[in-house]
Amino acid sequence: MAEFLETTIDKFIFKVATDRSYSSEGLWVKAEGDRLRVGLSDFLQQRSGDVAFAEVKPEGTLLKMGDEIASIESIKVNISLTSPVSGTIVKVNPAMTTTPESINQDPYGEGWLVILEDGNVTKAALLDPQAYLALMKGQAEQEAKNQ
Amino acid sequence: MSVQRKVVIVPCSGIGKTYGTVSREAAYEIVEDLRPKDAQLVALSMLVLGDESTRAAVAGNQAITIDGCKLACASKMVKENGGRVAQEIAVLDVYRRYKQFKPNGIAELNEGGLHLAHALAEEVAISIDNLRSKNKEGQNA
Repeated sequence: MAEFLETTIDKFIFKVATDRSYSSEGLWVKAEGDRLRVGLSDFLQQRSGDVAFAEVKPEGTLLKMGDEIASIESIKVNISLTSPVSGTIVKVNPAMTTTPESINQDPYGEGWLVILEDGNVTKAALLDPQAYLALMKGQAEQEAKNQ
Repeated sequence: MSVQRKVVIVPCSGIGKTYGTVSREAAYEIVEDLRPKDAQLVALSMLVLGDESTRAAVAGNQAITIDGCKLACASKMVKENGGRVAQEIAVLDVYRRYKQFKPNGIAELNEGGLHLAHALAEEVAISIDNLRSKNKEGQNA
């Protein structure tokens, strides 16, 4: 069961799960044995808005860090998400086709994107939960000021 | 004498939001073109302001709400004002069924948005027909 760091900015509460690492873009990576599970942070899903469609690269795709891993269309934006790690996609979350709103409803659980094998995590490229919390807090505060 | 009450259509009031505009375009098409005799438009803003005749319309009739986002203001306000929501529709759910109609624009919708509004209006028109035939069955029973 994941535990969370939490921050409130304006009327929004953002959670950061403490059992995984994050890219500065807001994707999380969780090691599960020799596999890596990837998904969107709570901040990224809230910032993106309600997800209408998620198109994830198919199983078997070999990804290098920085390659597009998925694209998401929400009520606010279209986003191309880049992979925070390298590896081969061995499983795509079927919910991305049937219920992409699970990204909004449960970003650290049911709303995961893919599972990678033979993954290579460049530790320097990822942030620990505390560092990501500080980064996203800065981004969120800046957005709140701009509104 | 038989009385058939109109179905109240309550769209999102989100100004400056594409999905709100889609909901309103659909609502206009329903009450002006598709089911003018069977449907009545209620402005959510009047409900929020507590307008008595609007509250009475909502309290006395079945309502179909069309929400532009997950805050679901239309559905919530109808319920808070004692209304009976026969069907809650979210524009996003409709868009998921019509991916080819990508809505854009606010004051004026793009072609995709207009097509989406039309598809939504047709779905609501069918819902209105179903509600009214159920009501007739109820009266005849």
